[in-house]
Formats: sequence, C-alpha cells, structure tokens
Amino acid sequence: MITKSRINRAQIMGLLLPGLLIFGMFTVYPIIRLFWMSLCDMSFSSMLIQPFAGIMNYQEVFNDSTFWTVFVNSIVYTLVTVPGQMALGLFIAILLNGIKRFSVTFRVINYLPVVTSWVIASLVFRYIFNTEGLLNYFLWKILDVTSGNIRWLNTRWSGLSVAMILGIWKGIGWNMVIFLAALQQVPQDLYEAAEIDGCGAWKKFVNVTLPAIRGTILFALIELTIGGFNVFTSIKMITGGKPAHQTDTLLTWMYYKAFSTGKFGYAAALSFVMALSLGLLAIVQFRMMRNKDA
Amino acid sequence: MRTLTRILAVMLACMMLTAICPAMAEETVTINFWHHYSAQSAENETLMNVLIPAFEAENPGIKVNAVSHEWAELHDKVLVSANSNALPDVARCDIAWLPEFQKMGILVALDEEMADFTDVSGQLLDSAMSTAVIGGHYYALALNTNSKIVFYNTAMLEAADVKVPTTMDEWVEAIKKLSGENANGQQVWGWNEPALAGWNICPFIWSFGGSLTNEDQTAATGYINSPATVKAIETFAELVKAGGITGFNAGDIPMTDGFGTGRYAMMLEGPWKSAELAGAYPDVAYGTAPIPAGEGGSISVLGGEDIAMFNSANKEAAWKFMQFMTSEYAETEMAKCGQIPVNKAALESETVKAADYAPFIEAIQTAKARPTVAAWSEMDNDLQVAMNAVVTGEKTAQEAMDELAAAWDLLLK
Repeated sequence: MITKSRINRAQIMGLLLPGLLIFGMFTVYPIIRLFWMSLCDMSFSSMLIQPFAGIMNYQEVFNDSTFWTVFVNSIVYTLVTVPGQMALGLFIAILLNGIKRFSVTFRVINYLPVVTSWVIASLVFRYIFNTEGLLNYFLWKILDVTSGNIRWLNTRWSGLSVAMILGIWKGIGWNMVIFLAALQQVPQDLYEAAEIDGCGAWKKFVNVTLPAIRGTILFALIELTIGGFNVFTSIKMITGGKPAHQTDTLLTWMYYKAFSTGKFGYAAALSFVMALSLGLLAIVQFRMMRNKDA
Repeated sequence: MRTLTRILAVMLACMMLTAICPAMAEETVTINFWHHYSAQSAENETLMNVLIPAFEAENPGIKVNAVSHEWAELHDKVLVSANSNALPDVARCDIAWLPEFQKMGILVALDEEMADFTDVSGQLLDSAMSTAVIGGHYYALALNTNSKIVFYNTAMLEAADVKVPTTMDEWVEAIKKLSGENANGQQVWGWNEPALAGWNICPFIWSFGGSLTNEDQTAATGYINSPATVKAIETFAELVKAGGITGFNAGDIPMTDGFGTGRYAMMLEGPWKSAELAGAYPDVAYGTAPIPAGEGGSISVLGGEDIAMFNSANKEAAWKFMQFMTSEYAETEMAKCGQIPVNKAALESETVKAADYAPFIEAIQTAKARPTVAAWSEMDNDLQVAMNAVVTGEKTAQEAMDELAAAWDLLLK
C-alpha cells in the first residue's frame, strides 16, 4: 500500500513538474523580481548598481499628484464600463434567450466588436470623435443641434468618456455570451412556479433570474474589474494621455514612467499598488455577493 | 577506408585552422558599431559598401562589425547590454540618449582620454558639438544634425496679404491675420504646433531671449521663469487662446494633413517634412524661412545624432573609427543620402549646397541643443504639464513657470 502511494506521489510530481517549472519561471519569479525592483532605486543614474531604497518608490508614487489623477481615472473608467457592459450584455442575453429564430445571427453580430482589434477600433473611435470628426459633422451639419465643433478629445472627462464608450461597446458581446450560457442553465420550473405565484416579468427577473446567475455575475464582475484597471490600448491610441496626462490611466502612466523616463523602480512600485488595489476590490466584491447569500 | 581517410583529413585541417585563428585574431582588432540607419536605407548601403571598406583599407588590422537596430530598440538594447557587460565599442546615438548613458557611467569622456580631441572636434560645428557636452566634458562627437525652420503655405499668405514674418512681432501679427475662417466656412489657424514639449517650445523661448537653465545646467530658477521666457510663453498662450495656434490637442487635425489641406498656414518643421509633403500633398505650394527673430535672435532647436564610445571599447581603434566617420570624406558621402553633415569642410561641399536640406544649414549654425541632462525626459514632461496649464488658462505664465523652476531645480541637483 505504501509503495503504491509512493509511486503515485512520484508520478504526480513527475507530471506536475513541467507545469510548475514554467509557472515558477514565468509567473512566480517575475513577481518576486518585480517586488524587489520596487524596493530598489532603478533610474538612469543607478541602472547598473540598483541600490536598495526601501519604500522610497512607494513614497514617490503616493506623493505624485499625477498618480492620483490617473488612479481616479482608472477607478472612474472601471465604475462606468463594468456595470455598463454587464447591464447591456445581460439585457441582450435575455432578449436572445427569448427568441428562437435568428438567434445565432444576432449572437454573431453582437459578438463582432469583441473580436475586432483594439487598435483599429480605437482609431475608428478617434476619427468619429475628432474635433472635425464624423460625430461633430453629424451633429452640426446634418442634425443642426450644435452650433460648432465640440472638442470631445481635448478635455479630461470628455476624452475619457470616449474611451469608456469604446470599452462598453467592445465588452457587451463577451458579457452576452457569458450571461446567455448562465441563463440557459436556469431551471424552467422555477419560472413556472413564479408564474403560479403571480410574478410578472420584472419580479421573475429580480427573484428568479438574478439569484440563479449570481455566480456568473460575480465571475464577470471580477474579470471585468481587472480588465477595467488594465485599460491601455484605447487610451494610448485615442488621447495618448493628453492633455498633460489628464486622461492617462494606471497602465499608460506606468508605461510612460518606465520607458520614457527610465524610472523602472517607480513603475514596479506602481504595479504593486495596482495589484493590491485589485486584490482588495476582489475581496470586497466576494463579500458583497456572499452577504446577499445570507 | 578512403572515406575514413577523408574524414580524418578534414578533421586535421579543422584543428589546424582553429590553432591558427587565435594567432590571426591577435593582429586584427574587430570593433562593434551599433547604429540605427535602417537596414534597407541608402545610408546603410553607403556605410556597408563605401565607408567601412574605405576605413578598413586605410586601417589594416581593424575590422568593423556594424549592426543595424531599430531606433527605439537600440536605446533599450544599450540599457540591457550595459547590465550584462555586452556593450559595443562605438554607437550612433540620438542626442537625447547621451545624458542618460553618461549618467549610467558607460561612456568615455573623449576630451579627457584622447590627446588630439580638440583637433578633431574643431573640425565639427560648435552648435552640434554642444549636444555632446555633459557636466563640462565631451562624451561623443557630433555625427549628423537637423533643425526646424518655418514652412508656410504660399497661397494662404498671399490671400491674406501677409509677408513671411522675420521678427517675432511680425510673427504674432501674421498669425492673427491668417487665422479665422476660410471660404468654405472652415476654421483655419495661422500656426500649427503638434505638441507642447521642449522640441516645440524651446525655439520660442530662445528666440524671445529666454533660457531654460543656467550655463552649467544646474539651476532653472531665474532662467525658465525669467521675464523673457515668461514673455515667450505668454505670447504663445495668448495666440492659442485667440484661435491662432493649435495642433497639440488629441482631437486636432494632424500637422501634415492640416498644412496640406490649407487649414494650418505655417509650422516649424524639420527636413523630413519636405518628403512627407511631396508624398501626401504634392500640389501644395509652400516656402521655407528661418524662425522669426526676437530679442534673442533667430534660434531653432537642434536634433540629430552623435557617435559615442563605450567604456569597454578598444579605445584606440574605436577613436580611429569615430574620427573617420566624422571626417570630410565620410560626412560628404553620408550627405548624399540626406544626412546633414556637421563637418565644417563637408558643409562647404557642392553636394550639401545643392541638397534639399540646404535651407536648414543656416538654422543649424545658430540652433541650440536642449539641456544635456539625464533628467531631461522628466523636465520635458513637467514643461508640457506647465504649458498645458498656461494655454488652458488654469495658471498664468508667471505662476506656471515659477512652479516649473522650483521643480526643475530639484531635478537638476
């Protein structure tokens, strides 16, 4: 018996080892190395020595007013795009769940933005929202509801809004697919029982559908929150952080600090602050969902 | 049996060759030269087929191994190679990289180590050589240069009855006259400025008689917030607010498109713009002129590349190669491919006088380099943030420049 379990253990180790090695090399080691970098002074003057600097980089991050600007931008981006794309995705999923004909066609159409390249979609959005872009032309020259060109991309919140609209538009399809799969798992007899109890469509949605797909909602919420904090391409392509980093988010700012100013220590510390914030948010999200359970 | 003999013979030959090779290597020095002439370019052709063979013929015993990199890749490759002691002997560097590499401690101070440095540098343009001075020492030789001059849309100036501005006062008036609406009811601007960074703003600061730092590049207070600098920033910002200058906003028409379609009347740009306009807007008629002169003169900003030597280099051979690359012969050859020379004798050649970039030569003589300090990228960022606050009316020019001066003082320490 003992011999057998030993063989088993050896077999398990043998099978796990390649995976563990790759995981260790490409995930665990970089995280440890990055943490060490965040504690060292890594800029042009100290690139070769990389002296230990303690929490200096973290202090620099928190004392930096631009950090707070981009941090707020990332939070607002996440707060707007995550509920936005979830609500719209769920809405379309419910509609699709109710129809029999053309269901696949609609699913494909709604999923198309997801497979579109971020770079191309961002460029198209930029052309639409340019000061002399399509939207202004439409509003001013065709509909005549404005009296001139609106500078959509030139200020902090309107510039960010364009990126947020893109984020929502691009995320709806993914949410639709996830929620559609969840909706199809909800037992029909629950709806029948609710109908017998005299529930209308809204009450059925609130009391049957939502509780039944809560697990999926939590999954989507956490995935999308991480995605929201990771927004990079659209910001880089649409506003490039202009004006004066007012529309930068955590990742575009991190990229700027590391590769334009050579502050690798600062960028490493920033990435840990970001990871910590995401971890805290995930815990809060788990708690909130569990409370509803009780 | 015969096959076996053959194999043995080949193996023996190989062993003898490997035995001889080290002996040969002792006599031949190979220097590694990293550059960012694109692999397919005429510059690279000249380097590989004309210059290096000529250098090797002149200097028997020295071989040059030239490696082409992408521009951004070369910068990062040097950073990484410095950490692994795998630097080349010599590299062609963007002038903006030198202060960073110097701060890392990987460059050779040429004026300290090379006895004939003054003779060599004396043959090159002073303005271009100023890009290589860091903390009072020279860390490179200027290799090629560029600068920016005014491009103006001839038809727009004629239609508005505006003469090409030669002074800063005329420049302000010209922009005001050229801005407004065109015949199609579209907004037009007298001047385009695609960003608010040092590359864009320095020419105005200098031409207005202002400055960024002191001579030693150790202090900014009293320079970036001096009355002349503030006047330059104020004038620029007032023109922005009056609708005379645009281009730096995310939603603006791109520079070349706006100039090519008659929406921007004037801009300050480098020699590469001619080719761009010829490709995208071959019908637009334009002229060029030096940047208008203010209290400080007509002073544009310097771009370009230097050639630098790394600590680990074979110094004697590397120095010979650097001298060769900046010689009249090599610079004239490169001038044929569109590289603006910095060698004074090469600048006098017929090739240069007949080149497309001839109008830039004058600007280069008086143009200045941006501060050669490692913190420049951060200072440049601060400048953009400050400029943005001024053009949006968030702060006055004086307030913004006072704050900038205090921030720069810390970075320059």
